[in-house]
Amino acid sequence: MIVDISSATIYQRDNQVLQNVNLKIDSGEFVYLIGKTGSGKSSLLKTLYGELALKEGNATVVDFDLNTIKRNKIPFLRRKLGIVFQDFQLLTDRNVYDNLKFVLTATGWDDKSKMESRINEVLSSVGLTNKGYKFPHELSGGEQQRVVIARALLNEPDLILADEPTGNLDPETSEEILKLLVEISNRGKAILMATHDFHLMEKFPSRTLKCENGQVVDTPSPKRKNSGLQTEITEERRSGGENL
Amino acid sequence: MLDKQNKYTGRRIRSSYFTTIISISLVLFMLGILGLIILNAKQISNHVKENIGFSIILKEGIKEVDIAQIQKSLDAESFVKSTHFIHPDSAAAELQRELGEDFINFLGYNPLLSSIDVKLNADYANTDSLSVIESNLSDNPKIKEVFYQKDLVSLVNENVNKISFYLLAFSALLLTIAMALINNTIRLSIYSKRFLIKTMQLVGAKSSFIQKPFILKGIGNGIIASTISIGLILIFLYYLEKQIPEIIDFNNIELYGALFLMVIILGILISWISTILAVRKFLRMETGNLYY
Repeated sequence: MIVDISSATIYQRDNQVLQNVNLKIDSGEFVYLIGKTGSGKSSLLKTLYGELALKEGNATVVDFDLNTIKRNKIPFLRRKLGIVFQDFQLLTDRNVYDNLKFVLTATGWDDKSKMESRINEVLSSVGLTNKGYKFPHELSGGEQQRVVIARALLNEPDLILADEPTGNLDPETSEEILKLLVEISNRGKAILMATHDFHLMEKFPSRTLKCENGQVVDTPSPKRKNSGLQTEITEERRSGGENL
Repeated sequence: MLDKQNKYTGRRIRSSYFTTIISISLVLFMLGILGLIILNAKQISNHVKENIGFSIILKEGIKEVDIAQIQKSLDAESFVKSTHFIHPDSAAAELQRELGEDFINFLGYNPLLSSIDVKLNADYANTDSLSVIESNLSDNPKIKEVFYQKDLVSLVNENVNKISFYLLAFSALLLTIAMALINNTIRLSIYSKRFLIKTMQLVGAKSSFIQKPFILKGIGNGIIASTISIGLILIFLYYLEKQIPEIIDFNNIELYGALFLMVIILGILISWISTILAVRKFLRMETGNLYY
């Protein structure tokens, strides 16, 4: 079990956003997390990577107990996770290679040749061989997101948390990124991806969780030509769009 | 093309450090100049104080051996900076010149006595020490009188105290301003990197690992900035020496060394502490608050 949450309440500051959250994710599972903007998707993810403290309920993420984790242990939790953001969050002051190298040195690697081969490995796995010398601002959005995914893969995490990774990308690039994530999950890594992109979910159906009315519920994955769900989706997208 | 862009990015990053360093070194330069003034104020006040002295009027008919012996024992005292023996004849000539009248012919004899002018060390040039010295010397049977201007002594001391107080208050103010300015400059330069700091945390870097390069950079900037400010102070001294050579005592190399050391230590310390405080602040901040 990679993620095991039971009867948890998620707070953003002092506001309760989700309650009675029960959630289990196994290794190699690919899970979508949907819900309107402000429904608590991001807060749930933030709780999983220790940005928000868990105040009520029980949760273990990659063998770390979120109830008892101390502030100075949070870096070690994050080393077991890969985090992918909508706004990329690359280190803008250095090139791709140094971005990845930073993560390796920060997480305790010291053998230069091993670091170099690991960096080349992850870069080629996201299709960015020979782009290491580029600065983030010199890359397209899709390329930047690939770098972020490469960065997330560096330490062989068991779980990748992706917060709207395709939110800033055009449909074609989004599809490429999703293919990449699916491929990664097929290699045995669990992925929890918050998204608004129902086209993608139709194309790559998988287990879907929905944040609604302060609850997280398993929901059937949207299917093509399912009229009932389709209307819900468009509504969802509209409300999401307004808030962008 | 790409190379050019990389160079441009590099230059931009460097120039932001450049401004920080220049701001810090200008502030340190200002502090250094103030330090110079304080050092030389001591010099000037010592100069004034050491011109304060007293005269010992010796008894009539005193032997030259006794005079020499008194002068010698005075010279050995810690409070004495210098002594000068005045023979009655030369005292008479001096007085005659001042009065413009030949009073010896008029009186038929020289009424003046032998005396010794004593100049004091600055530390002893106050009324308390002087009255002790006076009473000690008066016990000597060969000394007729110890003479000094009490008013002048207390006046000089009062003024020196007043001026040093204001100077010190002004320095304290300037030091506070300097620290605030440097702190602000460093805070701004780290504020511009707050999202980088947050990202570093999110990829699993420990706080100490994130802080390290910032602190090293901060200390490095402090060293460069204080070196620049010392260079500026030296240039300043060079031109000052050319314009008004008598104002500064250049013989006191050690004092200037101490001043420069102070500037370096201050430069490193202020930028070090400011860097730690600023980075720590952003390390502890929640992501949402970074946008304000």
